[in-house]
Amino acid sequence: MAVCAAIIGKDNSPKFFVTINPDEELQFQYRVLSSLDIVEDKLNSGVKGGADTKELYLGMLLSLEAHKIYGYVTNTKIKFIIVVDSTNMVLRDNEIRSMFRKIHSEYADIVSNPFYIPGEPISSKNFTTNIKNIMTGTV
Amino acid sequence: MKMNGTDLKEEGSLIDRRPIITCAGEIEVFSVIEDNLTEALPQDTYEWRRTFGRPVRSVHIGGVFVPYSPAALSKSNSWDLIRQPLFHIYWTDCSDVELYKSSVKEDIENWLKELSSKEINDWLIVVVENFDGKRTNKLLPRTTVLDKIRADFAPKQGDRCVSVINPGKIESRSADSWRGLVNRVRHLLLAAYAKAVYRLEEHVRQQREKRNEHGWNFMHYFSLQEELAQVLEMLGLYDEALVQYDELDALFSQFVANGITSDSVSWLSNFQKPLERWHGLKLGSSKLPKDPSILELRAYLFAKQAHMLLLTNKVWEMASRSLPFLNTCSKELIILEVTAPPGAISCWLFLAAMEVLETCDKFNHADEVKEYSLHTAGVWEYASQKIRSLGELCGLMPGGFPTSEQLHIVVELSAGMGDNPGTSDSPSPTDKLKVALCSQEAFNKTYLELAELAMGTYKHIGRLRSARLVGRELASFYMLVGETQKAAAFLTDILRTFEQDGWHELAAQTQIELAECFLKAEDTRKYVCACAAVSAALEIDTLIRWTYFDDMCKCVNLLKEPLIVPFNDIFKITSVCIKNDGDIMQDSDINLELLIESNFPKEILCTKMAVSLETFPEPVKDNKKTQEKVWPSRLLTAKDMRAQDVMLQRLKMKKNLDFKQDRQLAAAGVASKFTELRRKSSTSQQVKEEVGECLEVVNLPLVITPGLNLIRLKKRATHIGKYFLGQTIMHVKNLHIVSPTLTPRLVFDVKEEHPTLKLYKKAAPLLTGIEQSMNLILTIGSYSIDPKSTVKLITSNGLSLHTEQDAPLQNSLEIEVGENYPFSSSRRSLRVLADALSKDHQVTIHVPWTPKPIVVMLSFTPPLTSSWKLFTVLMKKFIQINVIGQCNVDIIPRGVNLNVDKTCELVEKNCHSSQIISNGSTHSYIWELVIGAEMESVIKAEFSMVYRLHNQDGDNKLFQYFFDIADYQTLYILDTNVDPSKGSEFCKVGIVCHLHLTIENNSSSFSPVTEAIKSIMYEVLAEQSVWAVCGRTAGVVSFESQEKYQTVVLEVMPLTSGHLPLPLVRISKYIPAESGGADKSKKNDSHPRLEPFSPGQVYNKSKGKQLHVIANVSENAQ
Repeated sequence: MAVCAAIIGKDNSPKFFVTINPDEELQFQYRVLSSLDIVEDKLNSGVKGGADTKELYLGMLLSLEAHKIYGYVTNTKIKFIIVVDSTNMVLRDNEIRSMFRKIHSEYADIVSNPFYIPGEPISSKNFTTNIKNIMTGTV
Repeated sequence: MKMNGTDLKEEGSLIDRRPIITCAGEIEVFSVIEDNLTEALPQDTYEWRRTFGRPVRSVHIGGVFVPYSPAALSKSNSWDLIRQPLFHIYWTDCSDVELYKSSVKEDIENWLKELSSKEINDWLIVVVENFDGKRTNKLLPRTTVLDKIRADFAPKQGDRCVSVINPGKIESRSADSWRGLVNRVRHLLLAAYAKAVYRLEEHVRQQREKRNEHGWNFMHYFSLQEELAQVLEMLGLYDEALVQYDELDALFSQFVANGITSDSVSWLSNFQKPLERWHGLKLGSSKLPKDPSILELRAYLFAKQAHMLLLTNKVWEMASRSLPFLNTCSKELIILEVTAPPGAISCWLFLAAMEVLETCDKFNHADEVKEYSLHTAGVWEYASQKIRSLGELCGLMPGGFPTSEQLHIVVELSAGMGDNPGTSDSPSPTDKLKVALCSQEAFNKTYLELAELAMGTYKHIGRLRSARLVGRELASFYMLVGETQKAAAFLTDILRTFEQDGWHELAAQTQIELAECFLKAEDTRKYVCACAAVSAALEIDTLIRWTYFDDMCKCVNLLKEPLIVPFNDIFKITSVCIKNDGDIMQDSDINLELLIESNFPKEILCTKMAVSLETFPEPVKDNKKTQEKVWPSRLLTAKDMRAQDVMLQRLKMKKNLDFKQDRQLAAAGVASKFTELRRKSSTSQQVKEEVGECLEVVNLPLVITPGLNLIRLKKRATHIGKYFLGQTIMHVKNLHIVSPTLTPRLVFDVKEEHPTLKLYKKAAPLLTGIEQSMNLILTIGSYSIDPKSTVKLITSNGLSLHTEQDAPLQNSLEIEVGENYPFSSSRRSLRVLADALSKDHQVTIHVPWTPKPIVVMLSFTPPLTSSWKLFTVLMKKFIQINVIGQCNVDIIPRGVNLNVDKTCELVEKNCHSSQIISNGSTHSYIWELVIGAEMESVIKAEFSMVYRLHNQDGDNKLFQYFFDIADYQTLYILDTNVDPSKGSEFCKVGIVCHLHLTIENNSSSFSPVTEAIKSIMYEVLAEQSVWAVCGRTAGVVSFESQEKYQTVVLEVMPLTSGHLPLPLVRISKYIPAESGGADKSKKNDSHPRLEPFSPGQVYNKSKGKQLHVIANVSENAQ
């Protein structure tokens, strides 16, 4: 189970932020923000224009005492961030990957929604519920 | 003989895993070369081929020599061959074959027997020769001791027996043989060693498989696998050694994570003992203490891993592993529920982090700074966090004092750290921590140093956000110290980063921190700014926003000087609309509607509200960049003001066809020019307070409520020009909230209207000779003109005018403009009189508002028009004059007269009666011209009429008409007759008749005039539906000498019956081609010409004649 998920826009501003425990949101915001440094590093150091840049999963960005932060970036430079409790041994790399893929597909859906203006923060309740379900693994 | 192997083992730093080699035979021989051989063996690499397809590696192999003893031989099936002698060499320097046969051979036989009894096949026999330079028995094979030995013991394995020339004597040949020996030993030794390693690997694998069995102990397994790692390390395969340690690391982590509940891992309980020591991690040579605690085990393992990494020059990887390692440790301590005194773990983690950082510093390669900085930055931060938590625990944070309890903790922690003194120049981490925990001052210094280093390193590697978060910690620390200025600097940086990235909630949170900072610093102005930002932040809890809002309102009253705060998120302009319809005229009001969204949590009272008005700069040619974007309408909505997202714009697609040379299509595609990516102006617009012209709210104070507010602003447009709306300014007493300039530019013009002056005539046309009135209309535009200024009218000759009723008419006139108001008009009546004979006039008007005069064209017509006509009856002449009335007013003639200046006599044929010539009606007057013998060729005639206008009394007016009468004498008289054909009485349809044309020449009576005309051309111009002219239709007749008449007979045929007019005949002057010969300048002299006669010169007698044509009977009968 992930404890926090975030969608960060191309301009690094948060488009969506959800935590399982709302009281922790602010602390997670600080953490997720700092992980953007590493996302940027990875994007900059990555093979530029290479044919095999299909890998969207960035792996673990930060390992903190209590949490691990994973990243994923779409081709349009939308970043997905997942924060996992570091005592959680059940979530392996593969689970994290599939979680990201599900979030990506949810995101693709919301962007396709004609009532959503790309670049605006996502406020859809339905979307929030879906993401939470993905985080808790109930999907 | 030293047999040095055992000594090394005790040194402890590195357990010696060199293979053990036994030496048998003549030990004295060997002892001479032992040192050389021990040294030479590991000097060069040797290829190591392994099973399982593992890659061939070049390794260095050394050896430890021990004396041979049969008791020490290993059992054939044991796994720990590594620690047993595994290679055996028999040394002899026997050179005498006889001696060999008598004693040495037996000795070797016994030795080999013992070895083979243990199934040991790894041996070598070395014969040391003291080469004397002469080998006498070269030609005889199998005569040396070596040959004998080979024949006796290794007939098929010749390589197991070698000879070596005593290397003590340095010669080129001995060097060769020496190299051969070393290589041979390396080869055989490695082969033996490989077997042993394989055995060990197998054993390790087996043991690992048993890990879930009861009684299995991790520490036993640990030492086993470590042995393998040590072997690999000895061989120089540091990376493979690292793999062994990594496997151990992973295995242990797995046990801790999964095995805590399982019974089979009872050994884990050994690691659950309460923590008693937290000695700092030491990288470099380290020893695993007996019965280690989990921290000691972890530290040892990490030290080993680090050692392997450092040996392979991967400093950065060691740094990168350090944080996960530290996190693992603290996590495992929690999982295993290891109890420790408060702060002990933090101490250990801090010391470990510091040790890693110091090691990194030691191995600092200039070219790798960036690589490991990527990882050390995090470690610096970690260290700073740990020491801060220790500081908090021990009451060392600024502003606090350690209690006795906390002092006790410090003592306990220091004791648990143990002693690990460094030098005075570079104190060890333990030393540093102990010092830091001793006093608040030292702690502050240490913490700030670490945090600054962390921030600096983050900045160095470009991780600004992480650096800012460290800055946030620093800010809070500085707040405690009381250095608000430093704290504010850090917080401002943080705020900027958050705002740049668009993390509004974090930015708002930082504003709160800033507000607290400024409050503490008693900086009212900045405090107000921060409060405004906090209270307008929607992300913050409403109660908090209220608090800061109230504080802000309170503090605004304390402001002595204006404080400018940018709009930011406090107010949002939702729409701007200029409400004026049409053009905005000078001196009219500009009306503006502003829709503003307030994010303040409560109502706020505005003391001034304005939108600045800026003059629009004239567009500079040749410089497109400076041209501002101008909004095409007068309404700006929030959508228009938002910067357009380039990515959402429609792409401009273009068809793209590539042709080959032969014009065949090579490729087709679509291309899109990338939409210009404009850099966002990162510097926010300068907000200036001083604004000149403003649209303002009239009714003040204005209450702005949370949410949308519709605000109307107004300003009188005093000056014309092009303007755009600038900043919006809102004053709450001395708090001035100012928006940036509106973009795109909302531009409008203030226009003026010039006065106009027009001269109007009335509906009827203007007539000459009669005084009429016109209207002069002055219309004032958007501005009034000086009442003293004058309008000057100048007329052309023959036209005069005046405004006053009784004043004499003038050619030029000045009129004063008089009192006037914008958009008013005044009319003046103008009397105008044009001379009787003139027609077109103009009035030039000079007006005060423009130097260019206004020219008005006036066209006058006479009240009457006239024409004349000449009539002829044979030789008699009559003049008719027609007069047509042209003016609306009836004209009453008072007498007419024709004057020909006595050139001839006139007989008036008019009857005198009262007449009225109304508009459009025609009156005719006739006089007979009595023609005498001697007459002028041209008669000048003057017709005059005295008349008066019907509605005006008095004044008789005179109308005059001049004309010339020329060519009026009758020269020819024509007479035509049509006779029926012979034998018939009547002319019948279809029957040819004769047309008799008689031309009477009368010109002789006016001899001088007619001399030139001798030939006359006649033409029959018959109506084609009535007459058909048979034969010729035209001809020329000449009047020779004094002939009076000429008759021509032509044939014509009537086509219809009835009373038909005779065919018309026309005569013209015929001028033959020759006659022009004298005068070459005339054109067409090669051809004869025709010239018409004037109407009065020819009289046609038969003009009214008709001929009765009867129908053809025979034709009718048919």
